[in-house]
Amino acid sequence: MTSLIDLICELSDIPGVSGWEDPVRERIVSLVQEHCDSLHTDALGNLIAFKKGARRPKNKLLLSAHMDEVGFIITHIEEDGLLRFANVGGIDTRVVVGKAVEVGPNRLYGAVGSKALHLHTEKEREEVADLEKLFIDIGARSKEEALEHVQLGDRAIFHAPFLSVGNDCVLGRAFDDRAGCALLVKLLQSDLPWDCHFAFTVQEETGCTGAAAVGYAVNPDIAIAVEATTASDIGGVSGNKRVSCLGKGPVVSYMDNGTVYDSALYRLAFEVAKEEGIPCQTKSLVAGGNESRSLQTAGTGARVMAVSLPCRYIHSPSNMLHKQDVEDTYRLLQALIRKLGNFESA
Amino acid sequence: MNLEQILLDFSAVTGIAGREEAAVALGAKLLEPYGKVSVHPQGSLLCRVWETDPDAPHLLLDAHIDEIGFIITAIEEDGFLRVAGCGGMDRRILMASPVVIYGKQGPVYGVFCSTPPHLTGGGEKKNLKVDEMYVDIGCTKEQAEKLVFPGDRGTLYASSRKLLGDTVCGKALDNRAGCAAILYALELLKEDAPRCNLTVLFSSLEEVGGQGAKTAAYQVNPTHSIVVDVSFAHTPDAPRVKCGLMGKGPMIGFAPILSHSISRKLCDLAKEENIPFQTEIMGGKTGTNADQIASTRSGVVTGLVSIPQKYMHTPVEVVSVADVENTGRLLAAYIRSLGREEKQ
Repeated sequence: MTSLIDLICELSDIPGVSGWEDPVRERIVSLVQEHCDSLHTDALGNLIAFKKGARRPKNKLLLSAHMDEVGFIITHIEEDGLLRFANVGGIDTRVVVGKAVEVGPNRLYGAVGSKALHLHTEKEREEVADLEKLFIDIGARSKEEALEHVQLGDRAIFHAPFLSVGNDCVLGRAFDDRAGCALLVKLLQSDLPWDCHFAFTVQEETGCTGAAAVGYAVNPDIAIAVEATTASDIGGVSGNKRVSCLGKGPVVSYMDNGTVYDSALYRLAFEVAKEEGIPCQTKSLVAGGNESRSLQTAGTGARVMAVSLPCRYIHSPSNMLHKQDVEDTYRLLQALIRKLGNFESA
Repeated sequence: MNLEQILLDFSAVTGIAGREEAAVALGAKLLEPYGKVSVHPQGSLLCRVWETDPDAPHLLLDAHIDEIGFIITAIEEDGFLRVAGCGGMDRRILMASPVVIYGKQGPVYGVFCSTPPHLTGGGEKKNLKVDEMYVDIGCTKEQAEKLVFPGDRGTLYASSRKLLGDTVCGKALDNRAGCAAILYALELLKEDAPRCNLTVLFSSLEEVGGQGAKTAAYQVNPTHSIVVDVSFAHTPDAPRVKCGLMGKGPMIGFAPILSHSISRKLCDLAKEENIPFQTEIMGGKTGTNADQIASTRSGVVTGLVSIPQKYMHTPVEVVSVADVENTGRLLAAYIRSLGREEKQ
């Protein structure tokens, strides 16, 4: 059986910029279809699965992970064959310049070029490039040649290697949120204590659009967003500014920029983690956000929690995950599902 | 000779200034069919291609084989590495770039990082200096010390790939493209009888000052030299006047340090042979090994030919295979003409 890390890397290698998640969904369908009691794709492209467990729960449970990733969209082709583009989702322009990219469904190789540093003024070296002035070079010498290979609206992703880093970490693209997708796939492939709904959602990075439709359709009592969140435990950053740390287990949030989470569920997560001997942390800053905001308010609303993998350098070509965090997050999700089926709180 | 494949393979190997061994090993393999190969104490690769009458001209054909990278300066308490540029690192492209460091037990992977934007107040976004950044290799200090040592070199992780048309993309095409052009010239000349003395130099240390070419040229003691390097190909963000055009052939250099007669002769030969060419006019020194070689010993008659390149000093440098081929053709034409002259 594929290890969780291998599955994360396999799913992360598939291009799936927001609004163009189809190849990711197709792969997930092939991985889970024989393990589901029902499986369908909705109007927006969300993949919604239901799997019977040993018992029928008192609380209708939904776990969600988004299939889409941040990337680029081709907006214009210049007469000289260079492609102009816009960001899809939040990307720091500083991580874009000088990177290799892959354009369109055929993953055409290209470069986000920039003139040589020898030609820069000191001011230009200091200032962050204006995204509108950047371009992708695919080697085409004319607009006509480029149009044989690229269509306006095509998405592009960073070309990024998957590398083992240090003793325990892995580096690669799109772990946000194929890591969450991989965890849900593994749960779907396992025996569950309670009936559960699972959603692989679209367009999280551009406004949590997919999860809103899923929340409405499934109408869960309790929804858990499983995602990757900022770990800033890097050189020069100390104390709570680190937000979360690699190797310290799953991150359970009380509040972020999009959601105030259900307090009872938040406390339960830490109790369960303690009982099971699973390391668990919370965000030490109110930062980031995820599709819990959509799940919380869809239809008649749901009680929400977020279980996140700490991840360095999200929204760049070089996301970094700690292998132990992946295992610990999986164990915490299993333990939470066991508790949540008949969970009652005052 | 599959020039495209040579460009892809040659740019894929590593040869950071001062640690050129892997690139030199491939260079030696590629040069062996053409002459006796040796490695200079400073790390440059030499190949004696033609040996004839000692009174005949002796041409030194140079292309630097080293590439830019970074050097580890310290391992911090938290296991993050501090680095400095080894050659002109473009600090605007470093953030979140994956890297490979050539450590004592083999390659070590990591990523360039800095304090994330949500902690710098957002508004003060700027490109950090190399010494303000870190390399994260996912290690504690103790783990890191087992893998790397200050002084180890690294590069940005890069793929060598074909783009559309006849262009290739990768790191270190500055100046493996120059090395490839020389190999192509040697291939064109391989049936020729020696017309002059000819030594090829794939020089070390160009990106940090040209020490490799300086010392090797002293040893070879040539009468003439042609330096092959890359120069700027125009892109919309660059000043047109400082750039050549990709696909329009080799850029023949004119500069005070260069021999005017060689520069003119290269232009004449290109016209005769129907080789597309452009000129590159520089007001002072050239910023290439030509500056070093021209002033070796009592002086060497030196020319400069550059291959137009986009995105220099990034992991996505781009050159046109046709430009490299035409540069090789021009070099072969010059070498043949140098032999002819002496016979008259």
